[in-house]
Amino acid sequence: MSKVSTLAEAVASISSGSHVALSGFATARCAMAFAHEIIRQGINRLTVSQCVAAIEADMMIGAGSVERIVYGGGSRGRSGQHHCICRAIEHGTIITEELSSLSMTFRYLAGALGLPFIPIRSLNGSDILGRLQQFTPPVVSNLNDPFTGEEWLVLKPLIPDVAVIQVQVADEEGNAWILGPRWDNEEQAKASKRTIVITERLVSTEAIRRAPEQTVIPGFRVSHVVHLPFSAHPSSVYGVYDFDEDHIAQYAEASKTPQGFQQYLDKYVYGVKDHWEYIEMVGGMKRMNELEADPVLGY
Amino acid sequence: MATDLEYTPFELMAVTGARELKDGEIVAVGLGLPVVASFLAKRTHAPNLTIILELGVVDPEPIDIGSGLSDPRFWYRAKIHTSFVDMLGMVLHKGLVDVGFLGGLEVDAYGNLNTTLLGDPKGKFRRFTGSGGGNDLASCARRTVIIIRHEVRKLTEAVSFITSPGYLRGAGERERAGLVGGPGRVITDKAVFGFDPESKRMRLEAIHANTALDDVLSNMSFQPIVPSNLPVTEPPTAEQLRLIREEIDPDRMYAGS
Repeated sequence: MSKVSTLAEAVASISSGSHVALSGFATARCAMAFAHEIIRQGINRLTVSQCVAAIEADMMIGAGSVERIVYGGGSRGRSGQHHCICRAIEHGTIITEELSSLSMTFRYLAGALGLPFIPIRSLNGSDILGRLQQFTPPVVSNLNDPFTGEEWLVLKPLIPDVAVIQVQVADEEGNAWILGPRWDNEEQAKASKRTIVITERLVSTEAIRRAPEQTVIPGFRVSHVVHLPFSAHPSSVYGVYDFDEDHIAQYAEASKTPQGFQQYLDKYVYGVKDHWEYIEMVGGMKRMNELEADPVLGY
Repeated sequence: MATDLEYTPFELMAVTGARELKDGEIVAVGLGLPVVASFLAKRTHAPNLTIILELGVVDPEPIDIGSGLSDPRFWYRAKIHTSFVDMLGMVLHKGLVDVGFLGGLEVDAYGNLNTTLLGDPKGKFRRFTGSGGGNDLASCARRTVIIIRHEVRKLTEAVSFITSPGYLRGAGERERAGLVGGPGRVITDKAVFGFDPESKRMRLEAIHANTALDDVLSNMSFQPIVPSNLPVTEPPTAEQLRLIREEIDPDRMYAGS
């Protein structure tokens, strides 16, 4: 069954107040076109989750689409902090349920496996745990190993309403390949009630069948397939295009202040009607060609 | 002979970091100096070192310097591209990571590390990165090596927020919290520290060449244990410096970060 839809249709399927798991990691495979459309459609009060904060979450938080972030921390790497996320935490304008990379992954994994909780060694003794223990309803607890008696910290599973995963290749059913490292994306998709796949390339199911070992996201979990090239710009998509260092620098500078960030949104999100107008604004096919990945290097 | 070589504090720290790694071990790295230390160890005394990146990369051989873990430049020629649950779960949480390198905003007398915020956690503060995989490495690696600039505000008696636990408030506390391993070394641009086996308080182990003890102590806001016999940090060899300058970081990109 074909689940191919427009980005606007896929985004419109998400109601305000939903929990959305996002596929980005810092500046890699971020659901940027998705974030733009969420902001344009005015969907808000979202919970967003991801293991390591990425620029699509930063943008959605800066735009006021998000009520709660569940994540393991993170920055853009050498290009600095996620200014919108840091500002929202400093000013208390979002609820921050903060963990670590592995504890986030374990919560998705427990959700994917249908387990009621998952024990973990991380977080013990830290002030991260101290803060998590203050949440009601609880997201962490302790219990004794029934075999050894040892006390363990246990985490509540994460079951997002929808995972939004940027991929390189998918078919119309949503069977999707993630090339390169895939951080928490497989667990996110499998923990969630449904998945929206946003793909650089749309191929036939026959093409998927030729290399089924590369299929990370099964079509039967997918509600929408959005075929939208360059939809992760300015982040990178391994093997397809590099991150746009200049545009990320521009975003980083703009997002340092609420005013600068608003000007960015006015120009690149509200000032365009769709993804294609955005791509024209950031340099069009000429720029996209410059960013095209070398097949040997992958970037 | 080696004393005639000129080198930067960054190069000395990278070499000191490399010496922490033994052949056949598994090391988890992030950005900057630990990357140089790990690649240097692998090209010298530890050819069978396995280097892992938390997001799902094993033994990369980059030829261009990346801007962080998420930069595909850092994943080039890897043996495996995989996932968090594989790297941090099935390798780290299972107890197979020998060494994790950590850095941060401040470290305290018991090796607790803060990468989350500066200021008053309950009042006005400035927010930074948070954990990422840092807490997981500090909790589950067999030992950690902390790399940090030697400044009064970075070396404090008690960090304002424990992102990644060291020995908490001293002897026995780490075990009581259910944690394994713990910090083994702290490498700064002035000295190398370890931890007292009994009290778990930070202990000076070596001072870098041309650095006075007073310079080390006056740039910390706590008093570490100072042994009577204090060696000078072993300087880099000519071959180590050549590898760093010509092969690992010819454009000085790691060194500049």
